[in-house]
Amino acid sequence: MTTVIATVTTTDLTAPNTTVRVPPPSLVSRLVGFFSGPVGLALKIGLLAVVNALAVWALSILAADGKWVAAAVLVAATIAIDVLYLVPRRAIPLKFLVPGTIFLVCFQLLPIAYTVGVAFTNWSTGHNLPKSEAITAIQRNTLAPPPDGAQYTMTPADDADGNLVLLLVDDETGVAYVGTEEGLTELSAGTTTVSGGAVTTAEGYTPLQGEELAGLDQQLSGFVVPTGEEDHFVRAEGLSVAIELEPTFRYDPAADTFTNVDTGTVYSDDGKGSYVSPAGEEIEPGWRTYVGLDNFRRIVDDPTVRDPFFRVFVWTVAYATLSVLFTFSLGLFLAIVLNLPGLRFQRLQRSLLVVPYAIPAFLMVLVWAGLLNDDFGIVNKVLGTDIPWLFDAEWAKVSALLVNLWLGFPYFFLVCTGALQAIPSELTEAARVDGATARQVFRRITLPLLLVAVAPLLIASFAFNFNNFGAIFLLTGGGPQAEDQSIAGATDILISYTYKLAFAAGKGQDYGLASAVSIIIFFIVGLISAISFSRSKALENLR
Amino acid sequence: MVSSRTLRALGITLAVAIIGAVAASAATSASNATVIRIWADNDRKAAVQKVAGEWAASKGVEVEVVLKDFGRIRDDLKTVAVENAPDVIVGAHDWTGQLAADGLVQPIFPSKAVRAKIPTYALNAFSYGIASKRLYGAPVALENLGLIVNKNLTRIPKTFAQLQAYALAFQKKSADNIGLAVPQGANGDAYHMYPFFSGLCGYVFGTNKAGNLDPSDIGLSDPAFLKNVGQVNTWNKAGFLNSKVDYGIARDAFLTKRTAAFWITGPWEADSLKKAGGAGLKYTIVPFPKNACASVPFLGVQGFMVTKYATDHGVESLAKDLVGNYMLGADAQVALAAANGRFPANVDAGKQVKDPVLKLFGRAGVGGVPMPNIPQMGAVWSELGGAWVKATKGADATPARVAFVTAARNIANKIG
Repeated sequence: MTTVIATVTTTDLTAPNTTVRVPPPSLVSRLVGFFSGPVGLALKIGLLAVVNALAVWALSILAADGKWVAAAVLVAATIAIDVLYLVPRRAIPLKFLVPGTIFLVCFQLLPIAYTVGVAFTNWSTGHNLPKSEAITAIQRNTLAPPPDGAQYTMTPADDADGNLVLLLVDDETGVAYVGTEEGLTELSAGTTTVSGGAVTTAEGYTPLQGEELAGLDQQLSGFVVPTGEEDHFVRAEGLSVAIELEPTFRYDPAADTFTNVDTGTVYSDDGKGSYVSPAGEEIEPGWRTYVGLDNFRRIVDDPTVRDPFFRVFVWTVAYATLSVLFTFSLGLFLAIVLNLPGLRFQRLQRSLLVVPYAIPAFLMVLVWAGLLNDDFGIVNKVLGTDIPWLFDAEWAKVSALLVNLWLGFPYFFLVCTGALQAIPSELTEAARVDGATARQVFRRITLPLLLVAVAPLLIASFAFNFNNFGAIFLLTGGGPQAEDQSIAGATDILISYTYKLAFAAGKGQDYGLASAVSIIIFFIVGLISAISFSRSKALENLR
Repeated sequence: MVSSRTLRALGITLAVAIIGAVAASAATSASNATVIRIWADNDRKAAVQKVAGEWAASKGVEVEVVLKDFGRIRDDLKTVAVENAPDVIVGAHDWTGQLAADGLVQPIFPSKAVRAKIPTYALNAFSYGIASKRLYGAPVALENLGLIVNKNLTRIPKTFAQLQAYALAFQKKSADNIGLAVPQGANGDAYHMYPFFSGLCGYVFGTNKAGNLDPSDIGLSDPAFLKNVGQVNTWNKAGFLNSKVDYGIARDAFLTKRTAAFWITGPWEADSLKKAGGAGLKYTIVPFPKNACASVPFLGVQGFMVTKYATDHGVESLAKDLVGNYMLGADAQVALAAANGRFPANVDAGKQVKDPVLKLFGRAGVGGVPMPNIPQMGAVWSELGGAWVKATKGADATPARVAFVTAARNIANKIG
């Protein structure tokens, strides 16, 4: 099978009847010779040095973060790569396989593993941080100025011993204070100058400014001046303002609960990443945590997720199957027509047919969305029709297939043109001599031989269209709204439905649920591809 | 086994690697001055650099402005590593709920004197909390839709009935004419339709006793709105509203082809309007005429937020001074507004706006409603837009009452 594909792709379109073009051997051997010498060695050492440099750099970051397992894997992998390429004439197949394997691991396996990991978490809007940070955030977000709380104009300063203090002027009363970690003390008016509402000089204190102050930021933002009233404190808010604050929720680390100071309601960890009151009220933010099979359960249990799933699945299969069928049929038909001997301007016609393939697909889809506009698009104007191409659920499906046909047929045209030329003409000629009609020749000889070469590409095309997010999203955005009025539109395929779940769910994003759905899609595509490949093996026996 | 040549090669490789690594780490470790990192989008980067740079110079620190796609600022903040995270972000007020619910931004408490210069609705727009609200951002710029009138083609409507009459009269003159160009498209555009929605007494979320948005009170099926919703059917039948018009068609018809009498758009088109004005388009921008209720647009408020990472980076007080004090001042807002093409939030800065187009848009936004900033709004956009599309798609349109009641039910289901 592989040889056939190679023939297809290397066959020169402009030279029918030649099968495989062998590259001039002299060039290859010269290149091999060139890179075997000192130049090759220098190149190899240079590339390895770059790899090692990257590894050392990555190692410093991993070590700084204390990720020792990852660091060990990195060191082992780097040493293995160095050894592999520096030991001559050993393990030659590995030398070719390793780079591809590394990229496979980095760009295929790791994202899959990550997605699987996310699918078992509650990662969504409101569940983003680890628990410890969520507790800090709740404590920070629930501080509030008390109803009669004071506001001060602040001048951070050093006292005689070099300790940080806050020189404060109450904005209402104009009274000046010094705030320390012990509390507020009124400054005597005789030794203090207040100008522009702020303390400018005070005996025994040195105001801090500029870089000096910037360097103390961490100390300043953590600096808390108790006011004497229970739990109330004055805190810097920026560099020139301080305000009185009190906590409205209190955290109890021993019981792991939050208590509303006013109402006394206790909020406890519900095991799903939130502090929840007995009445079911949640405190935001929650945190990201493992929730087991919850996301998968939601796909089955939650009607807003489950109900559209089956409908979307059926349409996705139909969309992918019909797209492959249509693009392949049209591509094959045109390939046969343009393969007829004696056709004029064969080259030009072939080039023109490849045009849709040469223009970026995203651009073409957007252009089509404009062309198909019901009232203002050129399609309805030219046809003199009033077809709701994008506004009716069924017509929008037709539009999606038509646009995908336009985008996809040149690919199969190219592939089939190549494959047709690879079929030995003796076979078809022999069949003709034996009295077969043109139709019989096509059905019994050409098509089976063609399918041997093209079947894997049909499967690949199916898998591609199954997840053809761009073509759907840019043309219809999944719309229009379907009969069941669900989050999934009439033309949404599973992947665009997943996108909507992930980014336009009820409360913002829901990455956990979206990952769970994408795992299901992964298995569906994998299963269909596996079955198709095993059946396409049967075709090979024809050869 | 291992030849001397291999050993030599190994030695060279290691040596080069170490040199490379040292060079790489030298390049990444900058000076040790205190740095405030700001994420800003392309429209605002230069202005932020300039304005924040002036502040930084007075504080003896440095600012580093990182360019981000506007929408990516919100999304990337959720996944960024601590060492690369910003201390301050440029953002839209309707991100507030999501980012606060995620614990990624922190409350700021500007002084009373500073707050007094910012309109209450702009502060409310950046405030979030179901039980009690905190301010999570400093409002800097305002944007809203206005009704643009092509004075060559029609007259300025004083009442809603006039708007309809003028639009339809112009539309009847030619098959290519669009009376009122307001973008929808197959997936709808709840933002551009909001003036009509509010004019029919519709609202998205009601407010609870504490005066905060209540996601369980959905105004798409409010009796007062449903009493007026029949008008939509009339508009659809008359062709006054047509969901087939999308953004590109509306813009093209009004600006280029001049086949639209009215257009609904916002200050992001100010430059194009001025350019078209230079090419003979006589236009003005007016507030939406009152229907059953005041027809007001959604307000978008842009501003700065302090992230939780400012604390992790030990620059919390600096970041809060920049956002909660300096950026709310008139000087900073005048400079930002000039670069940004939006009306400033600070009232003193607003008085200094000279650009006639921005002033007109500012007037059209009076009384506007800030887009709800609670995360549940994510469930509303497509449903509300979709209801308008179905009710105004011409011959086979869904009756408006059915469309909006269905949308209200779906929103309630999605929010759960």
